[in-house]
Amino acid sequence: MKRKYVDVICLNDQAGNVTPLFLIWNDNRKIPIIKIKEICPRASLKVGGSGLRYTCVFDNNRIRHLFFDRGKWFVELQDNML
Amino acid sequence: MNKIILHCDLNCFYASVEMLYHPELRNVPMAIAGDPENRHGIILAKNVLAKKAGVKTAEAIFEAKNKCPNLIIRKPDYDSYTYYSNQVKKLYYEYTDKVESFGPDECWLDISSSIKYFGSIKYIVENILRRVKEEIGLTLSIGVSNNKIWAKLGSDIAAEDSYFVISKLEDIENLPANDLLGVGFHTYEKLKSYGLYSIKDVAYSSQDYLKNILGKNGETLWYFANGYDLSKVRRYDDDEEEIKSIGNSSTTIRDLYDLDDLKLVLNILCDSVASRIKEAGLFYKTIHLSLRDKKLKWRTMQKSLCENSDLASDIFNTALELFEINHLDFKIPYRSIGVSVSNLSNKKETSIIDLNGNIKYSLKEKKKDVAIYDIRKRFGYYSIRNLRSLEDEKLASFNPKDEHVTHPVSYFGR
Repeated sequence: MKRKYVDVICLNDQAGNVTPLFLIWNDNRKIPIIKIKEICPRASLKVGGSGLRYTCVFDNNRIRHLFFDRGKWFVELQDNML
Repeated sequence: MNKIILHCDLNCFYASVEMLYHPELRNVPMAIAGDPENRHGIILAKNVLAKKAGVKTAEAIFEAKNKCPNLIIRKPDYDSYTYYSNQVKKLYYEYTDKVESFGPDECWLDISSSIKYFGSIKYIVENILRRVKEEIGLTLSIGVSNNKIWAKLGSDIAAEDSYFVISKLEDIENLPANDLLGVGFHTYEKLKSYGLYSIKDVAYSSQDYLKNILGKNGETLWYFANGYDLSKVRRYDDDEEEIKSIGNSSTTIRDLYDLDDLKLVLNILCDSVASRIKEAGLFYKTIHLSLRDKKLKWRTMQKSLCENSDLASDIFNTALELFEINHLDFKIPYRSIGVSVSNLSNKKETSIIDLNGNIKYSLKEKKKDVAIYDIRKRFGYYSIRNLRSLEDEKLASFNPKDEHVTHPVSYFGR
């Protein structure tokens, strides 16, 4: 598995929360994030790196972890998906 | 009530942060080292595999590579280290407000008053271990005891990602005395020559005996070995302590072979220390000189003046005097040199005549110092330099005042 940094469109609300809304994929596709199940500080042992881990549900009901590490977002990616 | 103190030590901190972002480095011997071009090429940290191969902290890169040819060397990334050091500390603060750091990777936590809230020591310790690993991705060793010294010893004994409890002297008595905080190479040699090898030997000998051997430090050592250290763990909102000493040191671009080289570098360091003293509005009384030779052995010596001073020339002359009265020579060239001043106060001495009745030239020196300081402030550091520094421009081309890195203070410096 590899760590892949991605562009993310977020909502910064008045209370100061940051909620990721869309993930922008390689081909400029905007993938909507339907729901965030959990936010917690975590290290990713699989791909390395740590930060706030958002457990996101995408539109095809797939669940992925999105990490927010010092201002950058990254996802854990299977090697065959690169 | 007995205090409960934890000493949390992040395992090979620099290397672990590097491996956190590059998991592939976990399976190869890897070390973090400074820049060899500036002659800072020594090993700062290493991972477990490199440790197994015999790589040691503070040895030169080539020495390490001799022992372990496939060693991967990485440059340090201090921003990341600071960030993670703070993240871990934030986590500690969830368990107690008494957190005192000792360097970037070590902290003492006084959890005496939080045990009631969390239930047990075991709960707190295991929670910290688990959370640091899961949430931050680093591992640590924790020493648990009723005083800071034993707690630190405990964290040294504890394996990676585990803890060790020291509740009585019997738990540690067979360890060598140099495992104690404050026992370095020279102290240990001295202790050994008196037949004091283990912590038990030190703890069971009398306080006066140790005082005779090692002076004031001997007494402290006896307290340390017996776990009678009563110093408190600082609270997070305690005022930053007053400045106890100011100093600069430098690993020079080439080794120092003679007195001229020494004077050249010393001059620059003294100027820097003096101008920092002036900025703080303080006066010093004691001057320390430390030298490290090519074999990486440090020697430190100190001398107190009769009166307070804030002059660069006093530091310079005293440092040279120290060099002479300790009969040091250049048989082994020196690679690092450091000057610091302590015994600080804000009281100025007013007498113009010293005890021998000589008129002091300090007024003249003082004017010179102030002038140099002002010129540098307006036109930059290199706008005015000592003539001596032209002898070897390369050796003299460093600015310790603005380029200096702050290192953790020593336990005794507090």
